[in-house]
Amino acid sequence: MSRKKSAKGKAVTSSPSAGSPAGKGAGKTARSSPGIVQMNGVVHPSRPSISNSSEFYDIAFKVMLVGDSGVGKTCLLVRFKDGAFLAGSFISTVGIDFRNKVLNIDGVKVKLQIWDTAGQERFRSVTHAYYRDAHALLLLYDVTNKSSFDNIKAWLTEIHEYAQQDVVLMLLGNKADATHERVVKREDGERLAKEFGVPFMETSARSGLNVELAFNGVAKELKHRSIKDPIEKFKLQEYVNKEMKTTGCCRS
Amino acid sequence: MEKKSKPAQRTRSPDGSARDRVDSVDPYGFQRSKDFDYESYEEFMSEYLVVLTRRTIKWSKLLKGKRRVQKNVKLKRYVRKGIPNEHRALIWMAASGGQDQLEKNPGYYQSLLGAQHDPKLVETICTDLNRTFPDNVAFRKTANPCMQKALYNVLLAYGNHNPDVGYCQGMNFVAGYLLIITKDEEKSFWLMDALLGRILPDYYSPAMMGLKTDQEVLGELVKVKIPGVWQTMMDHNVMWSLVVSRWFICLYIDVLPVETVLRIWDCLFYEGSKILFRVALTLIQHQQALLQQAQSLPDVCQNFKQITQGPFVEECHTFMQKIFTEPGSLSIATLSKLRATCRSRISAEEH
Repeated sequence: MSRKKSAKGKAVTSSPSAGSPAGKGAGKTARSSPGIVQMNGVVHPSRPSISNSSEFYDIAFKVMLVGDSGVGKTCLLVRFKDGAFLAGSFISTVGIDFRNKVLNIDGVKVKLQIWDTAGQERFRSVTHAYYRDAHALLLLYDVTNKSSFDNIKAWLTEIHEYAQQDVVLMLLGNKADATHERVVKREDGERLAKEFGVPFMETSARSGLNVELAFNGVAKELKHRSIKDPIEKFKLQEYVNKEMKTTGCCRS
Repeated sequence: MEKKSKPAQRTRSPDGSARDRVDSVDPYGFQRSKDFDYESYEEFMSEYLVVLTRRTIKWSKLLKGKRRVQKNVKLKRYVRKGIPNEHRALIWMAASGGQDQLEKNPGYYQSLLGAQHDPKLVETICTDLNRTFPDNVAFRKTANPCMQKALYNVLLAYGNHNPDVGYCQGMNFVAGYLLIITKDEEKSFWLMDALLGRILPDYYSPAMMGLKTDQEVLGELVKVKIPGVWQTMMDHNVMWSLVVSRWFICLYIDVLPVETVLRIWDCLFYEGSKILFRVALTLIQHQQALLQQAQSLPDVCQNFKQITQGPFVEECHTFMQKIFTEPGSLSIATLSKLRATCRSRISAEEH
């Protein structure tokens, strides 16, 4: 139990954009803002942090999965959460849902509260209300679907409009295992990511390629930010570049 | 009523376990989940079958082989007590006006399928075909006949028929249920038209105004009828959209058990969208103590999922009786007024 106390003090103390929505929401009805109770953008385990998952944690963050319909957001999440991929067992996500997973990041228990959203455009007016409380966004496209890639710019615009300025963002080209159906080259993804200064990698929920890494990378970045370690610098892009695997001959 | 004491005796019967007696695929083609409670299902069905048999006899007397029904107090009472599955398509079509439309517009459905298709619409629909009821044997790619093709047709026809709505996720599940019950594309199409065009507010249009409105309306109703839960929502700053958008968009599909959903839809087609609020309020009210225990936003979400599970919702006959008594009065006038207020509030905030 003691570890929670110590970690609490270390968590992010201020975040430039977190203050205003909380203030705005305070006097209004329940629809005003989701999750503004999380002070300073960090979900503090103010009560015993065993809640539903009955797993202890030190710090918690909200991660949102966004991207066009059918790019594999739910599959990626289920692969990460349960380590499974059951082809043809998924239903389209309507509205918004979440799952928790606690990771051990260099001895610190980091709980990710991962929000899965409906990808269809009309649902955005429902889901973008949740952006401002997200600490990280994983933006997905499908390497076998050109329009999902073309829409990334529109997604980035949306994100800049609604998310916090310092949100951790990563671009993921999913379904990288589908060699034959691929229409978006890895280099195209890299180029786009570079243009917008966003870390990038390809993933596959089916094979598991880089799935752990995507979430772990984000968790590491968030943890480093929250404890503000002055000695150890952490660069998300460098980290993922070092760790990531590419689709190649050894693909199972 | 005295069912509490029974399970122990029944499950230990010499004929093996309920698991062996009950089909692993339900009557609608859904594969039962791994953790499906066969014992309590069998227990429930042994009582519900008596109800079903009684209702079937009553309905047969009422219909006497007729294909036409008049809406009246008696029929409404009958509908609330459940339409036998063999008459569902007939009554849904008659009560919703779908049958009238079908007869007034012969060949219209086919002409929609023959029309020029918007490639964007086709693509959006196709994205969801494999993701509609993968747990239903009739919706598998390998099924013969395969419902996926019928589903595609109904959704495409509807998108052509109502281009303002086109296709919205959630409609796949609604059309899927209609196909399971009617086993007929054209009827499913006209029932879609009845639901989206007349029965429901604009849940599925690009602005989703009807959805946003009804979520707020539910909030207002909870505030008055179940203030403790409303306070919990306030305390943790939970937007209603987070916990109930699927309830409205999917009309409780995949939220509540199949049989319960169908019983709700019986009333939905006959009485209109007010029933959706009765269900929501009953769910919330019945488990208000649990909902109020939530200590955080995730807790609230979790508890909202929990209240849609268990014997309370599985025992559909009792549940349907409760929805008309437990939430108390809910007049059309109240609902219309709340809808107008909430709608203008949302419009004002959006502009």
